[in-house]
Parts: sequence; C-alpha cells; structure tokens
Amino acid sequence: DVDQDPPAAKRLKNKQRVLLLSSRGITHRMRHLMNDLEVLLPHVKRDSKLDSKNHLHLLPELADLNNCNNTLYFEARRHEDLYLWAAKTPNGPSVKMHVQNVHTMDELKMTGNCLKGSRGLVSFDSAFDDTEWGRLVKELFTHIFGVPATARKAKPFVDHILTFSLLDSKIWFRNFQIIEKDPLQPSGPPQMSLVEIGPRFVLTPIRIFEGAFHGATVYSNPEFISPAAVRSLQRREKGDKYNYRKD
Amino acid sequence: EDAVPKQKLEIDNQVALERIRQTIQLDPSLPWTETLVVTYPQKIEVDVNDDLNRELAFYKQALHSAQSAHSLSIKHKFPFTRPSDYFAEMVKSDSHMERIRQRLLNETAGIKKSE
Repeated sequence: DVDQDPPAAKRLKNKQRVLLLSSRGITHRMRHLMNDLEVLLPHVKRDSKLDSKNHLHLLPELADLNNCNNTLYFEARRHEDLYLWAAKTPNGPSVKMHVQNVHTMDELKMTGNCLKGSRGLVSFDSAFDDTEWGRLVKELFTHIFGVPATARKAKPFVDHILTFSLLDSKIWFRNFQIIEKDPLQPSGPPQMSLVEIGPRFVLTPIRIFEGAFHGATVYSNPEFISPAAVRSLQRREKGDKYNYRKD
Repeated sequence: EDAVPKQKLEIDNQVALERIRQTIQLDPSLPWTETLVVTYPQKIEVDVNDDLNRELAFYKQALHSAQSAHSLSIKHKFPFTRPSDYFAEMVKSDSHMERIRQRLLNETAGIKKSE
C-alpha cells in the first residue's frame, strides 16, 4: 500500500542556470554592474575572467563544467566599451549587444531595496512581440533573467520587478522595488507603488548568431555604429573645425 | 572627401530566427509561477531624450506589470507579499542604505538653506 498514490503527474519545472563571467580589462564600473546582476539573480554562477578574447568557443565548455545552460559574458574593449553576450549553451543561439549608460546599485541616487535572492518579476513591453528577433530576445531573456523556483538561494516572495523596454531600437533595463503599502498610511487600502533599486543599462543588439558564440548570423542591426567609429567621427569633426579656423 | 558611410549588410533571417526560437522555447504548459514573466500590453512611445517622460513610461510599465502579476499570483495561490516578520539579507546593506538616507537628508537641508 506504500505506492498508493502514483507519483503525481510530473510537475514541469523551469530549470535554468546562468554562467556569468567577463573578459580581462573590465573597469570598476563594469565589475560593479556584474556584481549587481549576480546579487539579483540567485541562479547565477560567477566564474573568473576569461583570458582570451579570441577563444570564445571555450565558453560553452566552461558553462557545461558549471552545469549551466545559459551564459552571460561581458566583453570589455579598449577599457571603455562594454559588450554583453547572452547565449544559450551549448546549442545557441547567442546575442551580442553593446552596453551603454550603466548606472550601478552602488550609486546613491536610487533608494529602493529588496531581499537578496528574491525572485524578480520580469516584464517586457509589447514591442518585443512585433519583430522576430524581438521574440527571440524575449525568450532568451526569459530564460536568463527569470529566476527559476528551484534556484537554491531563491526566497519565496516577490518584491522587485525587472523591466525590459524596447525604445529607439534599444533595450532599456530597469529594476524596481514593489511596495504594496503606502508608508504614510500603513492601515489604508493597499496601493502598489515602486521605488527604483538599480542598476540601469541600455543594450543595443548588434548581432544574433545561430550557435553559442559562433555560427551563422541570423540577424544584424543595420543601425549599429561601433563606439570606436563614433569617437573617430567626433575627433575628425573637431580636427575639421581647427583646420577651418586655421585657413 | 567626406567618408562615405559604408552601407552595412542587413541580415534579418526571419525563418531561422523563428526556428531557433522554437528549439529553445519553454514548454507552454509551464505554470506561470515558474517564470514570473509578464508582458505589458502597450508600447513605450516617448521621446528618447526626454528623460523625465521616458522614466515615467518605464515606471508605468513596471507598475502595470507588477499589478497584473499580483492578480496572477492570487489566481495561482503563489505567495507574493513578504510577511512583515520575515527578515533576511537584503541586496543593499544597512550601511549602504544609511549612506543613501544621509545623502537625501543633506540634499533637503541644502535646499532649505538656499530658500
């Protein structure tokens, strides 16, 4: 009579683990951003810096060694430009994005706070559903930024929300604390309000590859101009101004 | 001799993107409580350079999503609100929060002084 109840229909589970690592040459600000993500996502496994920027094919192997099926890889270039690779390992796809406008949690402007390891809601605006690449990015981010219920360090309550918004063909990230009671009238009707916790950043998608850190390009952003090109253009304009004045 | 901007090759392989998405897609029968994903039914349509309105739009998105998630969690009998006697380590430490508070106080004091 021991097996009276057959094992209840197997509950489906969302199993995700994310490997988080960076290349060499990241600045303090980039490192702080990584720390923030690590603290917000309890299913993240941090690894040490990757030595070489040319051997990204090591990453799927590394993720496998850590039992991770997703990878977030921050790549710093010239000690000032930051790129983020978000990939499903080992079979792909992977998205390469340019990270701008980074504000970390350490800055004192944002007054929100939340439980360490509480599962955050993930919110996407409807513009993601308009394009095929948007839908793919949404699916990928659902895996990476949605904390699975089984994450070891996860807390059972919800007190913050991660929002992804598409604006100006960039992905804007914000993180808010959810406050359900008005602190001014604690006995009043529950009225939800939000306070920003941070961090903030803006992602410009550059390319989507079919495999994990390799493979055919299935999407490329025609509007993306590399930050080095932007800077050289600015310098050239300055030089032109000088030449013009000199003549 | 203006540098002609190189026309970049645009790739947008819809078929492949859809196929890839289907290979990684989570099981649609997965209960909502496994992912906690909400979609905001509207689009963010504001001027990118208008900081105030842009942040307001993000706030509205987050608030709408949080509220719909709250009603969803009631439907799924999923614990949402943290009981007031549940304490645990926070993302920002007490000393960090104290620094934020101090900064706010200094700011308000500065404003008062200038009045």
